Amino acid sequence: MSVREINEADFEAEVVKAEGTVLVDVWAPWCGPCRMLGPVVDEVAEENAALKVLKLNADDSPRVSMQFGIEAIPTLLVFKDGKLANKSVGLISKAAILDLIK
Amino acid sequence: MKRYDVAIVGSGPGGLNAAITAKTRNKDVIIFGRQDLSSKLVKAKHVNNYLGLFDMSGAEVAERFKQHLANMEIAITEERVTNILPAGSYFSLLTKEGIYEAKTLILATGVNFGELLPGEKELLGQGVSYCATCDAFLYKGKSAVVVGYTRQAEAEAEFLAETAEKVYYVPMYKGKDKDIVPELAHGIEVVMDKATGIEKNEAEAGSSAMKLLLENGEIQAHGIFVLRESTAVDVLVPGLAVDEAGKHVMVDRSMATNIPGCFAAGDLTGRPYQYIKAAGEGNVAALSAVAYLDTNK
Repeated sequence: MSVREINEADFEAEVVKAEGTVLVDVWAPWCGPCRMLGPVVDEVAEENAALKVLKLNADDSPRVSMQFGIEAIPTLLVFKDGKLANKSVGLISKAAILDLIK
Repeated sequence: MKRYDVAIVGSGPGGLNAAITAKTRNKDVIIFGRQDLSSKLVKAKHVNNYLGLFDMSGAEVAERFKQHLANMEIAITEERVTNILPAGSYFSLLTKEGIYEAKTLILATGVNFGELLPGEKELLGQGVSYCATCDAFLYKGKSAVVVGYTRQAEAEAEFLAETAEKVYYVPMYKGKDKDIVPELAHGIEVVMDKATGIEKNEAEAGSSAMKLLLENGEIQAHGIFVLRESTAVDVLVPGLAVDEAGKHVMVDRSMATNIPGCFAAGDLTGRPYQYIKAAGEGNVAALSAVAYLDTNK
């Protein structure tokens, strides 16, 4: 599935109330490592048709950042049926992202 | 974005010989390093065990290496690589100046990382950060401690202090800078003490979430930045297999690491720490990278 950008207001509906697995890439435009990880997340999305992949700008999402203890970016959050199942901070390899969503 | 055939990190004998070998094989090469090549090489008083280059100072040997590079039309990209991401089919390299991509990667950074603080690696990304310029914006209205190992860390601390509410700075300088008391802008509080470890206050949140242990006390803050001259290699490249001490990269006879397309050469792969061994490994690593490129077209 293609990657979509969401904002904090959509978070509840798009993530918490969503069924199945959702991968959220928490990033910001000023963050170099986030710009490196972005294309890899895109690739994972393209190769996993059933997976819902969303991007959330950390600068505009203080409430979500606080709720999920986001202290550094990029952070990847994996939700299964609306519950946080996995969290990874910093740059990780494509293989490691695939492990997260298993 | 332009994608190089081979990206080499490090401009000591291992990295340089890898660059020369890959260039000879007509590969598009980028090598990251420094104009003076290697501080270890330049500081060497006397080199007598490098075939054909004997009875010379390290600086003279470096000069010969530079002539060789010039002859091969190889220019060193003087940017510090802070993060490398194995992206699957390619590698992405981040410097302060930008992002680069390459199909293969040769690590030749040497082994000068210094000792980690107890707790540092375990808490990385959970209150410990290596990049103030990356994470500064998350510290709006929060407090942070910067543990600075080189004077370059001072500018990063000041950048952080423009955003954060309160910044403490603990200088851990060595050598000629050892007794310097930095004068820093934006109300940064300089603490002249020695960092001995990092802990998380599990029960606490906010400004007392993290604890930097000092020889004479402790500092509590939202987060702790540890800024060194170079990054431990398994932090630089996530997923890279290193030995138990975390000092050397695991390689096979072809200088291949556990990550497909990633090779290593020089002191980074283990002893003996000698120039000619590093140069030989650089040659093997580059040929292995060329073979990898040929089979993964």
